[in-house]
Amino acid sequence: MSAAPNRRPFDAGRAAYLALNALLLAFLLLPIAIVLVFALNPTPYISFPPVGVSLRWFEKFFGSAEFMNALWLSLWVATVVLVLSIVIGAACALALARGNLPGRAVLTAFFMSPLMVPAILTGLALFQAYLLSGIGRPVWGLIAAHTLVAVPYVIRTTLAVLHNFDRRIEEAAAVLGASPTRVFFEVTLPLIRPGVFAGGVFAFIVSFDQFPVSLFLVVPKGETLPVVLFNYMKFDLDGAIAAASMVSILLALSVVLVLERLIGLKAYVKL
Amino acid sequence: MTSAARPSPIAWLIAPAGLLFVLFFVLPFAVMTAMSFYSGNPVTNPNAFLTTRHYERFIFDTAGIFHEALWSTLRIGLITTVVSLLIGYPLAHWMARMQSRLGHALVLMAVIAPMLTGIVVRTFAWMTILQDKGVINTTLMQWGLIEKPLPLMYNEFGTIVALVHIYVPFMVLTLTGVIGRIDERLEQAARSLGAGRLRAFVEVTLPLSLPGILAGSLLVFALSISAYVTPSLMGGTDVLTLPMLIAQQVGTSFNPNFAGALGVILLLVSLAIVVAYNRILARLAGGQGMA
Repeated sequence: MSAAPNRRPFDAGRAAYLALNALLLAFLLLPIAIVLVFALNPTPYISFPPVGVSLRWFEKFFGSAEFMNALWLSLWVATVVLVLSIVIGAACALALARGNLPGRAVLTAFFMSPLMVPAILTGLALFQAYLLSGIGRPVWGLIAAHTLVAVPYVIRTTLAVLHNFDRRIEEAAAVLGASPTRVFFEVTLPLIRPGVFAGGVFAFIVSFDQFPVSLFLVVPKGETLPVVLFNYMKFDLDGAIAAASMVSILLALSVVLVLERLIGLKAYVKL
Repeated sequence: MTSAARPSPIAWLIAPAGLLFVLFFVLPFAVMTAMSFYSGNPVTNPNAFLTTRHYERFIFDTAGIFHEALWSTLRIGLITTVVSLLIGYPLAHWMARMQSRLGHALVLMAVIAPMLTGIVVRTFAWMTILQDKGVINTTLMQWGLIEKPLPLMYNEFGTIVALVHIYVPFMVLTLTGVIGRIDERLEQAARSLGAGRLRAFVEVTLPLSLPGILAGSLLVFALSISAYVTPSLMGGTDVLTLPMLIAQQVGTSFNPNFAGALGVILLLVSLAIVVAYNRILARLAGGQGMA
């Protein structure tokens, strides 16, 4: 454990290894940085190198009724999905971890399966079901679809917290005379809160950025932001898309920071 | 430890999720499968009859596009997976072996940040980079290295580059977990016995991380064969994949029954992958238990 025996004056292999990884990190992050450049570049079409800095694309984005309607719809849907998936997901995780259910592993895999089934098929199947039952394409149908694919994230983060915490805390509370209800509300619930919240923030992002599940479930004039952006990009590639992208990236980045504060990022690494 | 105790009252908390999943997951997929065996909408059209013609249409492929679409879907998935593995492994190894906690957190954030950026946004980023007037072509032309823009987009190449960028974080996260569990002292032992660093890696760490390689590859493959946004924006008219075909059948041709059949075919392919993925994860967990 004392002086590092590996420390040598210059290590070519190590340098190449680090350079390669720096390059790979650049590959991951540069495209996102480039979007920022185009969001601020005033030329009417995407052109490189940038010629200046302007906010005209942000003005166009925030001034367009089409984009704004879509942004509000997306934010609204994502907020409802956040609340629904927190409640449903946390309850489900508690049942899985504490309910003594038979076939728990199979059930857990079942509740994770929306993450493994191609999302576009989930959208297609729901589209078919809505079509056959004649309910059309209401907003609540979209919300239910988003909740379905967001709930697994809440279940996963909550389960991660439940597995990590010491059950003896609950047992101690029970031994000291607390009723099961009291143990639940005063011990279990506060302890799993970080996991539930973190999963909820994830659920928000999943809904806000959702495309494949939404594709068949939105109506014209009632499209979410990713769908509007996608349709716009098929014909036009100007800075408005970059500005819209920046808005969602900033949202995502602030979410990452919130996540890190709440629970640390470790919980997500367990894929 | 796991007693044969009866379910506690807490088990009822599973009900809301169960209801959601039955109504909006199990039932819709049953409907989709049923629709794929009907000639039309059996609710509104009394003349709709049971048929296997949608599957026959795919199998006999008289139009000559369906087999090609399936093949491109699998080919794009396979290349994306291999490239993601080659790119993801060094990053995952670096992360798993990093001593500094701050460094680890920073790299982890760099890997997760793109995951939290929408698919549409990331595809847009690659369009600005790879198109004829994009970052790469403009730069190369200004430096006088090329005269005409290179065809980087509206083909399979561009599609794969963007897909790799989108799915490589999944590979990195899967691999990091597995590599992190390999005892670093094994590699050190090999080196103290005279193996070079490369040989110690190839003969010790690499074989031990094989389950992670398989799990990560299956995950990326399953994700990339079901991608829709990226191939349809980056592929132009050159690329037609199964998900694109499905969207066409719903949107332009309005043939939900045939779309259902295509959906069932894609689902079967992905389910086969998922089963294999779970097998490997289970074996991983078992191996960990024995260690």
